[in-house]
Amino acid sequence: MRRVFGWFDDRLPISSTWRSQLTGYPAPKNFNLWYFFGSLAMVVLVLQLATGLFLAIHYQPNPDLAYWSVLRGIERDSRWGWLIRDIHIVGASAFFLLVYLHMYRGIMYGSYKKPRELLWLIGIFIYLALAAEAFLGYLLPWGQMSYWGSAVVTNFVTAVPVIGKPIATWLRGSFVVDLPTLNRFFVFHVFLVPVLLLALVLVHLIALHHVGSNNPDGVEIHDNVNESSWPRDGIPFHPYYTVKDLFGVSVFLVVFFWFVFYNPGGWGLLLDKLNYTPANILHTPADIHPLWFFLPFYAMLRGVPDKLYGIMAFGGSFVLLACLPLLDRNPVRSIRYRSVLYKINILMMAFSFLWLGYIAHGFATEHNMVDGLHVTEVFYSTFLLLPFFNRRRSARVKIVWLLAAEAVVWLVDLWMYSIHAHGWDLMLQTDWIPTLYILLLFGLAIVFPALAHDRRELPQRLTAGGLFH
Amino acid sequence: MTKHNAPLVNYRVLLALTAGLVASFGGVARSSVATTQAPLRPITVNLQDKAALRNGALYTLHMCVACHSLQGVRYSSLRKILRMSRTRYEKVIGTNGSHYHDTITSTMPSGVIDAFVKILPPDLTVIARRRSPAWLYTYLTSFYVDPSRPSGVNNTVRYNVAMPDVFAPMQGLQKPVMVAGLRFGSPAQVAVGVQPLTQGSMSRAQFDRTARDIVDFLYAVGHPHEQERARLGPWILGLFLALSVLTYLIYRLYWRRVITSEERWWRVGK
Repeated sequence: MRRVFGWFDDRLPISSTWRSQLTGYPAPKNFNLWYFFGSLAMVVLVLQLATGLFLAIHYQPNPDLAYWSVLRGIERDSRWGWLIRDIHIVGASAFFLLVYLHMYRGIMYGSYKKPRELLWLIGIFIYLALAAEAFLGYLLPWGQMSYWGSAVVTNFVTAVPVIGKPIATWLRGSFVVDLPTLNRFFVFHVFLVPVLLLALVLVHLIALHHVGSNNPDGVEIHDNVNESSWPRDGIPFHPYYTVKDLFGVSVFLVVFFWFVFYNPGGWGLLLDKLNYTPANILHTPADIHPLWFFLPFYAMLRGVPDKLYGIMAFGGSFVLLACLPLLDRNPVRSIRYRSVLYKINILMMAFSFLWLGYIAHGFATEHNMVDGLHVTEVFYSTFLLLPFFNRRRSARVKIVWLLAAEAVVWLVDLWMYSIHAHGWDLMLQTDWIPTLYILLLFGLAIVFPALAHDRRELPQRLTAGGLFH
Repeated sequence: MTKHNAPLVNYRVLLALTAGLVASFGGVARSSVATTQAPLRPITVNLQDKAALRNGALYTLHMCVACHSLQGVRYSSLRKILRMSRTRYEKVIGTNGSHYHDTITSTMPSGVIDAFVKILPPDLTVIARRRSPAWLYTYLTSFYVDPSRPSGVNNTVRYNVAMPDVFAPMQGLQKPVMVAGLRFGSPAQVAVGVQPLTQGSMSRAQFDRTARDIVDFLYAVGHPHEQERARLGPWILGLFLALSVLTYLIYRLYWRRVITSEERWWRVGK
């Protein structure tokens, strides 16, 4: 046995990789709950690949057959098909939930700061690939929401002047979403994007193991090593974090399979109920909206009453995420040692994102569109105001920031007023949301300067030892 | 070892601040529903009631399937839902002249749809997943006389419904209970309930039973794996719960060494 392994090990770097990447990879000892989500996302990725394989075997990428190949062929005629499909459905939502939590972890603990900027950027690309994968896969069951959702999104391209329409036709392979669209979406969903996603995840891991893991204290553990150049605050990833992650995976799977067995539709959130109606090109649904994980972006799109600017509004949020390392240049990494107002800002970032999702969950009434616009302004503010927190500011600078931020928000709003985008009364009703948020943030910073001050003393070593301290 | 410094502002204060912020914004939430909804009549489905399911199957296959299809369902799979032998199934319920393993398709002659129905009646395979049982039950029992409609009837939960009131001979005709409300944002008289107008061949209780049985059956064909879910679910959840306990113990076992040892890396002073 040993000789067989030795033969392989001489020809393939098995044990050396095991040593360098697992038993010899120092991980900070103080990972908390937020550090489960990365490994959980990998577990879900594997689940999606495994279930997707079997689904692809039974699926028919043809408009005449697709709907029933899912609801009859897979769900009823194939053994365990229903279970595999439900795992795939719940898995898609779980993937997004975990990735959102994983990203927010990175934002809270400053995991995008030097030297992890590229790691963060690769992560953003993983998110984009995941979004593409989810969008492409959503067309395949060929239900009403599948069809019209894809129709709406492929129409985004037509917002580009002159060349937009030919490009949209080229992308769809037809003038409307049809057989050629379904065929290519199927191929992209099962082959192109998964390969891209796997490659990006691999690069993400390589980058992570090159720069080392961040931690809730934001302390660089490699700055403090013992005689054998092992970080004093590090422990080997294997076995310590492998056993911990196994525990996390087990707990996660309990929740996951509760959904799979008892609530696969997730109250109509994980799978839209309208998708139980076959696609009908002659019947546009009254309300077309994406699944829950894209709702915040949908609110941004709807908030701006112009296709091109609306797409720029939600596309801009990805740019902001990618630019996070440039916006937040404060040397302090962890939210634990940042100022109170910074903490409020980061909480507001998450809250406004959830709020946008709530708004987009409602019908496309003018109320909801205007609310979407104003909460989008708050969401954007939480990013664009980050440079303010880069260092301590004098009272005068604070006032300049306050006036400038309010001016930008009001310029956008005045623009909306000027083109009669929404009714005056509706605009005025919720204009105070971004106005008040900015006023509150800088008002507090001016009146109570201490609230904008980062904690003076930064820990040189990790302050906590995992769950037990 | 020195105890690490307490944070400048503790999380409780921060949470209170954020909660205040959230509460002040929460007042903005508004209702966007611009149509007055008729209340749904509650119903509990019972997949164990064999008599109800069989009665529902009879009505569905001999009335509904005159126009609707259940393309996702094979006659042979109904045998399992209704828990009958094949011979008994073929004798009692039947296959509308199709092969036993065929899918259930509308018995309406082809050409009829194009000639005068125009709209393809929706497939009923997963109608119970598209709509809740309460919605289906209310829908089936809430047709009312409306002379303005081509079919002469309307429905409280599906305004301007295309389906004619096929239950009229059994249930009798019904008149609407109108209230002043909103329809798509504009003030309108909205039907929120029905009252009997004429007597049909069934008593009210009999027809109510029939409607409930049909909903029961449609729910059963829409959720064909409910029994398997109920049987498997606890085992799978139990397995992962047990695994959680086991992996937690292993985790504690490994990490105890990490926490207690004085010579470990992070115990070394600054």
